[in-house]
Amino acid sequence: MKKIRHTAQKNPDARTAWGFLAPALVLLGLFVLWPTLRALFWSFTDADLLRPQQAQPQGTANYSDLLNDPRFRQAFFNTALFALMVVPVQTVFAFFLALWVNRPEAYWRWLRTVFFVPVVVSLPVLAILWTLLYQPVRGEEMGLINALITGIGLPGQRWLRDPNLALPALAFMSVWQGAGFQMLIFLAGLQNLNSETLEAARIDGAGSWQRLRFVILPAMKNSIIFVVTATLILSFRLFAQPYLMTGGGPDGRTRSLIQFIYETTFQDRNLGLASAGVILFLFIVAFLTLLQRLAGKEEKS
Amino acid sequence: MKKLPHIRCLLTCLGLGLCGMLLSACGDGGSGVTLRIWAHQGQEAENRAMREIVAAFNEAHAEDGIRAEIEFFPDHQYSERIAAGAAAGDLPDVMDLDGPTLAGYVDAGLLAPLDAYFSEAELADFLPTVIAQGTIQERLYALGAFESALVLYYDREMLARAGITPPDEDRPWSWDDFLAACAALKDAGLDPISLHMDESADEWYTYAFSPVIWSAGGSLMDPETGRFEGVLNAPENIEALRQWQRLFVLDYADNAPVEPNPFGVGKTAMDWSGHWMARSHLEAKGEALGAAPLPVIGDHRAAASGSWAWAMLSTSDRPDAAAKFLRWVVSTENGIVPIVRANGAVPARHSAFEAFPEYEEIPYRLFKQQLTEHGRPRPQTPHYPALTRNFAEALRDIANGADPAETLARAAKQAQTVADR
Repeated sequence: MKKIRHTAQKNPDARTAWGFLAPALVLLGLFVLWPTLRALFWSFTDADLLRPQQAQPQGTANYSDLLNDPRFRQAFFNTALFALMVVPVQTVFAFFLALWVNRPEAYWRWLRTVFFVPVVVSLPVLAILWTLLYQPVRGEEMGLINALITGIGLPGQRWLRDPNLALPALAFMSVWQGAGFQMLIFLAGLQNLNSETLEAARIDGAGSWQRLRFVILPAMKNSIIFVVTATLILSFRLFAQPYLMTGGGPDGRTRSLIQFIYETTFQDRNLGLASAGVILFLFIVAFLTLLQRLAGKEEKS
Repeated sequence: MKKLPHIRCLLTCLGLGLCGMLLSACGDGGSGVTLRIWAHQGQEAENRAMREIVAAFNEAHAEDGIRAEIEFFPDHQYSERIAAGAAAGDLPDVMDLDGPTLAGYVDAGLLAPLDAYFSEAELADFLPTVIAQGTIQERLYALGAFESALVLYYDREMLARAGITPPDEDRPWSWDDFLAACAALKDAGLDPISLHMDESADEWYTYAFSPVIWSAGGSLMDPETGRFEGVLNAPENIEALRQWQRLFVLDYADNAPVEPNPFGVGKTAMDWSGHWMARSHLEAKGEALGAAPLPVIGDHRAAASGSWAWAMLSTSDRPDAAAKFLRWVVSTENGIVPIVRANGAVPARHSAFEAFPEYEEIPYRLFKQQLTEHGRPRPQTPHYPALTRNFAEALRDIANGADPAETLARAAKQAQTVADR
């Protein structure tokens, strides 16, 4: 603080800068930093949602409770597995979508819009839509996906009700839903590509695979790092799809970390335990992000 | 020196703000009492009726200087709104709440007992299930204006086509009779029964299928100790749900239905459903509509019950005015008759049935009879949300083919873990 005031007095520009920053800092402090600190405080107490004022400190009991809770461990495992399925598939899929639609003609622009539509449609609507698509076979009636599958002679599946298929089914739907966003970021990266470099590579006799491998991919590195990081964080925030489509079942195999935190807060009223879950969640996401940054840097050097 | 205008401006703003707060405070105290009422958002007709009830209350109490202002919150946000209000010390004077959540609010000290505001004679006019639902440790905390009922609707013509004698209105089918009827209906090319397994809300599962367990002599919780483990997964419960599971194994009931009302649209012969379908089923079926108590596994009879009820907040600093409002909304003439007209639920007081001649007929007659003679509230425990979540999850998994013993054991353990913390 002292240092800031000191420089502020000396340097009128700095004062102006802080002035401009102030609204953002106040909002950030009020809506991000303060709640996070509150959660951190509550995570060491037995806070009840309906009477948080009476919270008593109880050390790290919430953290050990969480780590010993099979439901929490399952929720963590489900979420991690979901991220593991979604991040690589969605990144690669979005990248090739971007390569495909990266052409100047108007109708390609129209196609871009089509791929982006699922991103802006609200998730609950898509959840209902995909629940219908995934309908199991019963007599003559079945969802479109099972109709396609049985059409080519394979047995129909109970997508959302089979413990082994439910999470992959949700991941598939999520990739479809989210890829448009990543595609857009890749498109922005592709359009920044120096066309002369590409042209030079072509003249030098590089095939399309070589151009992709040695020209496009290295130039797109920053976009890729951003997309992977953002997708990872977004996929760890999984909630709406399983909550609406499977309720966390079957056998708890699609319960996400966020659903666990939501249930612990608002149904079990255990604000302390839920806060500990939030703090762990923050750490997991921060750790993964850091890991990726490090990996990105290492390659650079 | 340049700073001064800023400071003056700031002070002016603050001053204006303070004056505003003072003025509004004066407004509250000067002209009388303004009660804050919170309610869950129902269907449009229900909300309109509720607003009219409040308006009538305000008119009748204008001379006493009491005014009620009602706010509605969507169902799924309601409990979150109450929690946020409790944390911020910003709660209304009176609110409505869903029966099974009562014990949690009482446990958190949010509610004031109502015993002092109702005479014994008045309470005797309420359905026994309404009193049972509102009573926690022998004190009354909530009173509803209406109740709910769950029955087995059937289509007489479809049953006749399959050569089945309909179940008796006074004596439910045994589970074997029920399965035999399902088999005959299926043989006749009909869909036997709709169990509404599409309901995404967990509460449907606990509400609709607890009676199966109760009928086998089981329960979800030990009422003395409040324990789930060893009770929810007791042998009679496991056996009951094994019987229930056969409905899906034998494909008598659809496990993932798309159509919300297959009985009403004529695809299904029987419907395991509540009072809320009575009007539309009567319109769809007319004379062909029959209704019976739910089939039972053992020889215990217990009917589902429970609905929204009014409660008074312990934080209210004008309990007498709040009690006047609460008495108004559960009075037969001013509260129950208009709201029941709007939402079609079962009136909560015996004296209100006179206003509804349909209670002489099927299926309404059965609702009343079940609630007066066999109604049973869901378990009263502060940990109800954890219980119902785990039980509903277990039911979904069992319908899906999971082993009842294992699944119930896990549900009981998980609910117990939450309760023990």
